[in-house]
Amino acid sequence: MKNPVTVASGTFGYGGEYDRYFDVARLGAVTTKSLSLKPRPGNRPPRLVETPAGMLNAIGLQNVGIDAYLRDKAPFLREKRVPIIGNIYGATPDEYAELARRLEAEDAADAIEANLSCPNVHDAQRATGPVLVSQSCEAIGAYTRAIRAATRLPLFVKLTPNVMNIQEPALAAEEAGADGVCLINTLLGMAIDAETRRPKLSNIVGGLSGPAIRPVAVKMVWDAARALRIPIIGTGGIACAADAIEFLLAGATAVSVGSMSFRQPDAAVQVVEGIEAYLRRHGIGAVTELIGAMQV
Amino acid sequence: MAERDVRFIHEAEVLANDAVAPGHLRMRVRAEEMARHARAGQFCMVQTARGLAPFLRRPMCFERILPDGFQLLYKIEGEGTRLLAEMTPGTRLSIQGPLGNGFDAGPDVARRIIVAGGIGVAPFPALADAILAACGEPPEVVLAARTRDMLLCADLFGALGCRVHLATDDGSAGERAYAAQMLERLEPGPDTRVYACGPIIMMKTTADVALAAGAECHVSLEAHMACGDGACLGCVVEAREEREGERMVRVCVDGPVFDARIIDWEARDHAHDL
Ligand SMILES: Cc1cc2nc3c(=O)[nH]c(=O)nc-3n(C[C@H](O)[C@H](O)[C@H](O)COP(=O)(O)OP(=O)(O)OC[C@H]3O[C@@H](n4cnc5c(N)ncnc54)[C@H](O)[C@@H]3O)c2cc1C
Ligand SMILES: Cc1cc2nc3c(=O)[nH]c(=O)nc-3n(C[C@H](O)[C@H](O)[C@H](O)COP(=O)(O)O)c2cc1C
Ligand code: FES
Repeated sequence: MKNPVTVASGTFGYGGEYDRYFDVARLGAVTTKSLSLKPRPGNRPPRLVETPAGMLNAIGLQNVGIDAYLRDKAPFLREKRVPIIGNIYGATPDEYAELARRLEAEDAADAIEANLSCPNVHDAQRATGPVLVSQSCEAIGAYTRAIRAATRLPLFVKLTPNVMNIQEPALAAEEAGADGVCLINTLLGMAIDAETRRPKLSNIVGGLSGPAIRPVAVKMVWDAARALRIPIIGTGGIACAADAIEFLLAGATAVSVGSMSFRQPDAAVQVVEGIEAYLRRHGIGAVTELIGAMQV
Repeated sequence: MAERDVRFIHEAEVLANDAVAPGHLRMRVRAEEMARHARAGQFCMVQTARGLAPFLRRPMCFERILPDGFQLLYKIEGEGTRLLAEMTPGTRLSIQGPLGNGFDAGPDVARRIIVAGGIGVAPFPALADAILAACGEPPEVVLAARTRDMLLCADLFGALGCRVHLATDDGSAGERAYAAQMLERLEPGPDTRVYACGPIIMMKTTADVALAAGAECHVSLEAHMACGDGACLGCVVEAREEREGERMVRVCVDGPVFDARIIDWEARDHAHDL
């Protein structure tokens, strides 16, 4: 990566959607929407609710599937010569392994990010809460080992913040051979229309993102950084360069800009430029000097 | 974060912003570059505050596309539109667009009828302009609203030479009738294209009348949006059948204008009202 800034999975499509706003090759990497073996239709609408300084979504991992990605989407990113982080989602460890294998074999990703933490793919009305792979250290171990065995590409495991102690799942990923973790996926949330008494999302439950969640994400990165040897991609509510630098200071090695791209399509390049300006202003030679450099 | 001009995002200047009916305003903005590329039926995403709340941009269609910018016609719905309503001439406004597919204003049918319900009239003055330019004659217009006050744009259509048929739910102006009933009286046929925008139930019943008469029916839909650009998959509606393996269509890039036949109106009934 030529700079430590990527975009968060699911907030940037497959990259081409933002081509009209800026040259995506200016990013350190593009992270794809979660890819599954078969195309997924996703949840029924409504899928979005705006919340204070953020939003809830229940997209349900609608995606074109790995075949269409390889055929129609990856060539654009390859032509742009921007590193690709292929985000994958499967129902079993084998499916994740197969997805990673195909991305590597077809040279359609430079790193894998395993989404073990999507809150939107279960039946909210039956479960008391989503049962996410990354809420169980054993499951994280099993999934991570399966993917690890299937690919030599750098492997990042994306974790949910909805756990008691983030160090435990993060360490489980590290011990199972992950090269890094991505923190955080969305926080579970819901919203109810007071007038109609109905949930505002068809799935009832959704994932909270945007500036509202940033302090939670920074704390999780800080906690995880003190326990891990492997790098962290910090995510959650980054709106500007100062926000990204917060994550670096808390211990992240790279950051991804998510929902802010909806509000300002070129938010991620503004973060790239803002970090460069910050380094110049503070006379810092390399951005790596900022990692974990919070002063207490 | 500093706002700035990038392709398709412009710092437009508010030129005027005036009430046209209770709770409804018309805003004129200067945005030359965007106006050059915009078509009737397309929309833009408007930032209603400089700070981070409201977080998302608001989708607004072009009421009229002018040489130096465009007009928006909007209803105060919640916080975002309330903030828009407070903007005074000279205010800088970040707008993204033009987005979406737009209307087909082509002369390939003999007769064109616009059916507008309430604030759903917003995209139609631009369409009437486009039809007049493309076909040499103005469309007919059914303008329906709950009450007399909410019949917007009648003067605009009149000035373009449109035959305007008014209807209100309470009979306070025009006929006491619903939009679909008015359309039925105009006897659309196989050579007619109907354009509809308004509440879901009004679009569904209008489409039923149009399609039963063998006419085409193009509807402009609404959905909550985050990106406006096809990336977030938040704005989907259900189609009747799969197209290229997809049953969900995105209002922002596949629409907002759809052939009424492809929309699964039953699913729309079940989806919550916007
Ligand atoms: C393509 C398109 C074109 C539109 N053009 C116009 C127009 O020309 N004039 C006009 O008055 N309105 C138009 N709307 C509806 C307009 O976007 C909403 O009224 C507006 O977003 C409400 O924002 P708010 O903050 O005032 O309301 P709030 O209810 O506070 O908004 C909360 C959230 O819900 C979303 N939302 C609420 N109602 C709607 C809705 N009906 N459609 C989509 N999102 C909604 C908002 O964008 C926001 O994210 C259009 C919608 C779409 C999809
Ligand atoms: C609309 C939307 C769709 C998302 N889809 C995915 C996804 O497919 N896979 C994934 O790993 N994370 C997904 N996420 C989570 C984001 O990648 C990110 O972790 C989260 O939004 C927090 O970052 P933010 O606050 O900057 O948006 C999605 C988020 C949003 C808002
Ligand atoms: S609003 Fe994001 S895909 Fe339509």
